[in-house]
Amino acid sequence: MTAGAPVLVLCLGNSDRGDDGIGPAVAAKLDGRLPDGTALSVRSGDMLALIEDWEGFSALVCVDAAAPMERPGTIHRMDLGEQELPRDMAFVSSHAFGLPEAVALARTLGLAPPNIVVYAVEGASFEAGAPMTQAAAQAIAPLAEQVAAEAARLQELADHA
Amino acid sequence: MPTKTIKVDYLARVEGEGALDLHIEGGEVTAANLRIFEPPRFFEAFLQGRGYTELPDIVARICGICPVAYQMSAVQAAEDAFGVTVDGQLRALRRMLYCGEWIESHGLHVVMLHAPDFLGYPDAIRMAEKHGDAVRKGLALKKAGNSLMALLGGREIHPVNLRPGGFYRVPSKKELAPISDDLKRARDLAVELVHWVASFPFPDFEQDYEFVALRHPDEYPITGGRIVSSCDIDIAIAEFENEFEERHVPHSTALHAMVKRRGAYLVGPLARYALNYDRLPQSIRSLASESGLGPVCTNPFRSIVVRALEIAFACEEALRLIANYEQPDQPAIALEPREGTGFGCTEAPRGICWHRYDFEADGTIRTARIVPPTSQNQPRIEQDLAAVAAPLAAETDEIIRNRCEQSIRNYDPCISCSAHFLDLSVHRS
Repeated sequence: MTAGAPVLVLCLGNSDRGDDGIGPAVAAKLDGRLPDGTALSVRSGDMLALIEDWEGFSALVCVDAAAPMERPGTIHRMDLGEQELPRDMAFVSSHAFGLPEAVALARTLGLAPPNIVVYAVEGASFEAGAPMTQAAAQAIAPLAEQVAAEAARLQELADHA
Repeated sequence: MPTKTIKVDYLARVEGEGALDLHIEGGEVTAANLRIFEPPRFFEAFLQGRGYTELPDIVARICGICPVAYQMSAVQAAEDAFGVTVDGQLRALRRMLYCGEWIESHGLHVVMLHAPDFLGYPDAIRMAEKHGDAVRKGLALKKAGNSLMALLGGREIHPVNLRPGGFYRVPSKKELAPISDDLKRARDLAVELVHWVASFPFPDFEQDYEFVALRHPDEYPITGGRIVSSCDIDIAIAEFENEFEERHVPHSTALHAMVKRRGAYLVGPLARYALNYDRLPQSIRSLASESGLGPVCTNPFRSIVVRALEIAFACEEALRLIANYEQPDQPAIALEPREGTGFGCTEAPRGICWHRYDFEADGTIRTARIVPPTSQNQPRIEQDLAAVAAPLAAETDEIIRNRCEQSIRNYDPCISCSAHFLDLSVHRS
């Protein structure tokens, strides 16, 4: 991760817990496809450990798995400048602080980048040791495309700010 | 008088999943059951048949907050079974790594999980609106602890560098130097944290505990010593099963540990502090005095002050170890497996973490037994909850629920480790 880069792409999840591995899988696809200067970080939990590092970025793109709501594999895009993270969307975290809490705390402390976009993929299975379901796996390639384009858009925005 | 049951059906701000049922009959608290419903995780069973070298990687997965505690007790047990003592700078490095875990675990609990209870906030996010500076300090302390763990353990969560006999790789003196500045800053933050938490309002609640902790001839205990209690226990770690037993209870997937001759006991910061006050450096004893603590503290709500003191201690201790560090010639001592039984016991942030393994001649694990700190504290937590709730029996469920949740967090329970946290139900009749 490059501190001071304008955009941080943060992929969250645990590859050993079924569809929770969507974040790391998207990160693997993004390798070499992000604009120069965009930082890529993969985390398996413990959001508190890194929110202080958000301070240097002008934009944050998060990729995480969410509990099933409509159809497993569905990609949801949420621009937190336009909307809050929906209360009925359960992000998958085995820790006391997940993504919504981390964003809320970072904003309260003035550490959150001005632009935050969250991509959440509905998963179906989060069992320990389980493989990723086909529905979630099929979302990896299109999601990587969207995230790369989003990072490019946010970087251009930062460059012209 | 009516019977009333207060249920906290899902405990927040603890690690793992549990609940509390409180039964009140005729204004008297008749039962306080801490229900741990996190499913059993069978670690002891799937260690069977594994090689001793796999121990640290497997037991690290028991907990993401205190993996070093499980790793350290496990590697010590293997070394004990194979007749090897890891000493000198390798031992110092292990103590240093463990200091990192104390700093990150206590920092998280004191500021992010427990402090909101005392200041009347539902969580750290709301607390940060008025106490942003304190929350930033908590985050900085956690980061300092994580950095030390990452440097010595290879990564901050589930470290990969510890092995029976020592480490896979040891750092040079030069590699350790930069972290000293971080630790000096962390020590100053910890001192400020001690003063902050000491100013909190504490309920008047003194209890008569049997404290149980390790005690070492020279050191505040982290990685070794004898198991002692505030009553009459003073035993080698291999004798643990002579004095202590674990019992199944219907309402919990965690076992309940007892002193066979007496019953419930307490492990963790209050016990360590009371039994080892004389092993703390003068600087920390002075800090304790400034914060209103004597050599023994029997008010569990003040455990938050003792935890903050232990953060300051861990920073100082890590700095002392770094200052005296010389890179060892070898990262590990060679082990020759042999048939036998080994024991390990170290001070996890939450209290003693005891392990026993029986090994085959080639080092394959035949049987394993792991006694985590939260299962040891669980009977005592239930006794305290009944005592905390008794004078509040006529109050609203919300008042009882808030005080009980605060009380449970006095012990920083790690339910993921013990399930082997909290919904509260108050049953009144």
